[in-house]
Formats: sequence, structure tokens, C-alpha cells
Amino acid sequence: MIGDEIVLSIEGLTKVYRSLFTPVGVKAVDNLDLSVRRGETYSIVGPNGSGKTTTLKIILGLIFPTAGGATIFGKGISDLSVRERIGFLPEDAYLYEVFNGEELLDFYASLFGFSRQRRKQLIEELLTLVGMQANRKVPFRECSKGMRQRLALAQALVNDPELLILDEPTSGLDPAGRHQMTRLILELKRRGKTILLCSHFLAEVEEVCDRVGIMYRGRLVAEGSLRDLAGEPTEIVITTTGMEGAKVPQVAAHAAVLGVEDGVVRMGHERGDELWSVLESIHRAGAHVLEVTRPRPTLQDVFVRAIREDLPELKESVTEGVE
Amino acid sequence: MTPQLLFLVGLFIVIVALTLTRKQWAPAVTHALPSIWRIAKITVAEARRRRVLQAVVILVVLILLSMTFFSYLSPKEQSRMLISGGLSAITVFGILLSIFVGAFLIPQELESRTVYAILSKPVRRFEFVVGKYVGALIILAVITAVMTAVLIGVLVLQDHLVPDLPESVFDPNIGGVIFASVMSFCAVAVLTAVIVLISTISSTTMTVISAFIIWAVGSLQSTINDLAQNAEVPATKLLLKIIYTVLPKLENFDFRNEVSNYLNFSYMSGWAAMVQGIGYAIVVLILASIFFNDRQV
Repeated sequence: MIGDEIVLSIEGLTKVYRSLFTPVGVKAVDNLDLSVRRGETYSIVGPNGSGKTTTLKIILGLIFPTAGGATIFGKGISDLSVRERIGFLPEDAYLYEVFNGEELLDFYASLFGFSRQRRKQLIEELLTLVGMQANRKVPFRECSKGMRQRLALAQALVNDPELLILDEPTSGLDPAGRHQMTRLILELKRRGKTILLCSHFLAEVEEVCDRVGIMYRGRLVAEGSLRDLAGEPTEIVITTTGMEGAKVPQVAAHAAVLGVEDGVVRMGHERGDELWSVLESIHRAGAHVLEVTRPRPTLQDVFVRAIREDLPELKESVTEGVE
Repeated sequence: MTPQLLFLVGLFIVIVALTLTRKQWAPAVTHALPSIWRIAKITVAEARRRRVLQAVVILVVLILLSMTFFSYLSPKEQSRMLISGGLSAITVFGILLSIFVGAFLIPQELESRTVYAILSKPVRRFEFVVGKYVGALIILAVITAVMTAVLIGVLVLQDHLVPDLPESVFDPNIGGVIFASVMSFCAVAVLTAVIVLISTISSTTMTVISAFIIWAVGSLQSTINDLAQNAEVPATKLLLKIIYTVLPKLENFDFRNEVSNYLNFSYMSGWAAMVQGIGYAIVVLILASIFFNDRQV
């Protein structure tokens, strides 16, 4: 259930990295405005180097903004009471390699001042939640990538945070691991957590997020719910069988048909009233209809469209790093 | 009461008074102490799991034990050489360990990015810096204690094995050895604080190089002072005076010669050096916390 309360607010956030060799600096984040409401799952998507991780690090107080700033629960991150209410999963699960899951969770829970009894109880709950009970004694350095990521998520949950900040939670995971992690995020969402997620895996974002912000070159180039961003379907897609040889030009000749390729007939959505006529022409040509769909644009389509609109000179190469 | 003791008592009174009178200080102190302790504990626990430290301790113990196999001219000479060699081993290995433990303490957390999961929790940056330092001190104190215990064991054993002669007796000087070891640990504690300060603003390699230079210069401070007194070029004089004033005076903690040669010395000078060292380490750690507070991680 998404509430009205603004949990995270970012205003005019700008970060310029300067060094001896780049005195002018590299703008990693450029005048970013963003807000996340209670109970919402918000994802920042964008290719590598678009400023996602920099934004998260500023929110967490790990690096400092050049201009603008962020507040969480209406307070600055330097306020310790804020950090008691948030959880952070860093990209690539950076935890102490020599300790096992149980020891790691005990340490991170101790940073919140929990008693030994409470920590013991928490460790059980969290290991169960992330499915690590059987591997609780395995040192972190011997854990698989998926186990490491699940433990890292568990450490982010030790304080039962109201706001969960996840940086590339499925990065480097195999399909099974990615599926597990997505299930976990959905479970946390079901439990009412507010989640800010950074990712370049658009399929996972589509599955879990209420709202998406598309970042490119440090700027937020599009924002909204997936439905808002995707807009209405633009095509009707008819999947057929037996569509080959002379049948193809026969069907393609229909005025409403945009194209026929590999047995798939595409027609303009605005000419939906001519669907029956197209289906009849397919039937007359001797092919068989398997399925008729009105696919919405995927987040991938939205992403490419958003950054194309933002930068007309953009070439296909910008989508590198986005899956 | 010495000026050094007055300084420590004064500092303690100021901190207690500020904590009691300023309401905002009380929660900060009550939060900081447990937080520092937790960071220190994990630092110690992590070091215990690493094989390198264990290997170094075993090596030092073997060196100390091997000293019993050498033969000497007389029992007195034997005890003198054992104490001198043993204390030198404790000092040199203590300093080397402090450089390598101290130099990796914070940079390793930054390079392995384990600091992210800690600083995103209710831990202040100064708590992290001081916690890491306290953890390093515990590790170095345990190692120094183990090395000292082995040296004392060797001396006690030799005292029983070596027959005394009328003109020469084996003198283990246990009290002196303990005192010299404690002072050696104080030098290590001061040097580690300086290393932590450097590591908050530079890379691991630069920290290690700087630490060796500071150790060398810190052990020659009376020479630096003499050079400063006698320098004729004003700029050189000023530079030497700055070095003498700013860098730690590690030689003040070195009682190896006095103890191994059974010389008379004032324990008070050791006490004074210790108090100065504590004050120096506190100031250096405050600077380290300020620098780390502004560091982008």
C-alpha cells in the first residue's frame, strides 16, 4: 500500500568529480530531483556510468554532493536516527570475507545495539528469510555469488528497516539466483517496505517496481509508473503458422498490415477495427492464426525511447550495459 | 604531580564536565563507547582469522627461543645478551607489525568496500576510526604480551640452567624487561595512531612508506634536535624544529639499553613519556577523525 508520506526526497542533487587531471570535473549527477513515497518500490535504471550508484552513495552519506541534497524521513543522513531506519545492500556484496553468515549478521545487528538474545532471534529469522540456514557456517569467501548476495540482503534487513536501498541486487547472479532475489524483493515489498532500487536489469525492474526513473548521463530523463512511461500499445501482433512463400505478400498487401516476418503479422493499433479483415486475409492465404496480442512497450523500449528523445544524436551503443 | 599527570587528569575532568553539563554530549558519549568497542572487536576477530599475524608471532617466538642455544663468555654476559636481543626483537617486530596492521586498517576497508555496510548503519565516522585503532592496539598488545612472556620464560629457564660463577651471575632483570616491553608497546601505540592518521588521507603504499620514515625520524629525535640547534641556515633550522616538534619522539620509549646493561634510570621518565604519548595519540586520532569525516568513501 503506497502512502502519501515522502520517505526520501532528493532536490537539485549535483555531483562533480574533480581531480588533478580533470580540474573542470566530470558531472556524475546533474540537478537530480526525485522523491519516494512510503510503501513504494522505486527503481532508478540506466546504463553503467549514468550516476545511479553515485546517487545512492550521496543518499547514504558515503560521498558528499557538490550541490543540492537529500533527506530521508525529513532529516539529513548525518542524523543517526535516520540510519537506524534504513537498510543498504551494496553492489557486489562487500562483507568481511573471513566470517560466516551467522557471525556477519551478529556483528551488523550489534551495531544497532541489540541484545545478544535479540540478535540470536534476528539471525534465525533472517537466515530463514534468505534461505541460508543450511549454509550459516560457510565463510563468506567460500559462498557462491547468490549466497553472498542473499547474506548481503540479510545484513541490510537486520534493523527491520522502513526504507531499503538496493544497489544492483541481481548483478552477477545466474538466472536462478536472479529469480530468487526478485522473489525476496517482492516479499519485502509485500511486507510494506519502501524500496529504492538501482538496476540495469530491466526485466527485474518491470516485475517489482511501482515507479521508475530513467537516468542517463547523470540526469533523470524520464520518470513515472511503467504504464505511464510505456503508454498505450502501438501495434497488434498476430502470430501464425504456415505463413510462407506466396502467402506472405498476399497478407502484407492488406492496408492495415505493417509487416510480416517469421510468421508474425504486425498491424497498427489505431486500425484495430480492421482486425477481422486481416484475420480473414490470413485465413484466405491458407495460414493459421495461433495468437493475437496487443503488447505494451517493454521497459527496454521505454528506456531506449527516453534517452533517444533526450539526445536525438544517440546511437544504439548507449544501450550497452542495459539488459 | 608531574605536568604530564596534570594534563591527563585535566583532560579527564574536562571530558567528564562537558559530558555532564552539555546534554547533547551525554548520548553521544554513551553511543560512541559501545560503538567503538564493537568495531574494535570485529577488527580483532578479523585479525585472529588471518594466518599472516599468527605466522609472524610464531616466527618471533622461535627467534626468542633460539637465543638460548648461543653460548656466551659469562652468565652475566649471557643474561645481558638475552635481554638485549629479546627486547630488540620485541621492539622491531612490534614496530613492523604496527606499520603493517595500521597501514591496512582503514585503506583495506575502503578498498574491499566493507566500510559501506558499516557506515550506512548508525556508526559515526570517528567511532569507526577510533574503533579500528583500539582494535589494532588490542592485537598489538596481545602480540607484545606473548613475546614478552616468551622472553621472560627464556630468561627464567636460563636462570635455572646457567650455573652462577663467583664473579658473574645470571640476572634475568624481569622487572626491567616488563617495563621496557610496556614502553615498547607505548611507542607502537603512538606510531599506530600516526599511521592511522596518514592512512585516512593516502593510499596503503604511501602510508607504509611514510610510516617507515616516521619510525626512522622518530627514533632519532634527539639528533634532529641537536641538528636544529646547530643549523646555520634559518630555513633548515625551522624545518628541523618543525620535524622535532610535530613527529613523535619514539626514542623516549626506548629503555632497551638501560635494562639490558643494568643501568640506573628513573621510572618517572618512562611515565612522563607514556603520558606524553597518550596526549599525542589523542590529538593525532582527533585529526584522523576530522580527515576521515571529510573523506569520500
